[in-house]
Amino acid sequence: MLNYFLFLVISFVMFAIGAYGLLSKRNMIRMLLSAEVMFNSALLTLLVLAATADPIRGGVVALIAIGVSATEIGVMISVGILFFKVRGEIDVYKLSKSREQKSRRLKT
Amino acid sequence: MIDIIVFAILGTLAIAFSLLVVEHRSLVYGAISLGFLGIVNAALFALIGFTFIALFHLAVYVGAGVVFILFSVTMFREVPTVEIRVKRIALVIVTLIAISLAAIFWPYSNISVVAQSISYRELSKVFTEDYWFPFLVTTIALVTTLIEGITLARREAR
Repeated sequence: MLNYFLFLVISFVMFAIGAYGLLSKRNMIRMLLSAEVMFNSALLTLLVLAATADPIRGGVVALIAIGVSATEIGVMISVGILFFKVRGEIDVYKLSKSREQKSRRLKT
Repeated sequence: MIDIIVFAILGTLAIAFSLLVVEHRSLVYGAISLGFLGIVNAALFALIGFTFIALFHLAVYVGAGVVFILFSVTMFREVPTVEIRVKRIALVIVTLIAISLAAIFWPYSNISVVAQSISYRELSKVFTEDYWFPFLVTTIALVTTLIEGITLARREAR
């Protein structure tokens, strides 16, 4: 017999690793990968908690979440490809800086 | 006893692949690690008893989503950009998040897991009767993503 808290501990560690990657990286695709680690952790938590309360409804929500996640991956990769085509890089700091410079130029 | 051994192996693999996704220098190997993380996660779902969701996760998430990332990252140039100052702040924030989550879910620490047996007929009934609207929205979102992806990828650089 396994303790639910063990699953939750694994999930928290995964969430923390994902959050760390999301906060510390500047590459857009790396940030997406880190967000996906966080999504996996959230899905595991959802199913572990659903198993204690209502497995059927928890399962349905998990199925919808997986579908939405696939959508999110498609959108983010498309945006990344577009940025790379236009700017030639996917560094989010440089992208936001160039946007600020552009708005300053427009003001002056 | 065998459950605990399987869980220990899967848990260790999940953490190791999560670290590889975030810290591996190559984006391609990072994406491959995400695929393996998806497989390990599916095995963990199956261990709780959600076999159908594990299969769906493997087919949709690993089979479609992660493979899509893997093929796309080959188009990008690697940008190894990490700021040490941000790294330290991120570590502190992440530690606080992990402690907060552990404190929130502490009441569940005494509950033991028993593999669930879910009736697929009931699952599909609930899905189509009670959750038809989210299902419809998700389907439309997937279709619009497909169109959006094609449109964005085909747009020429100015």
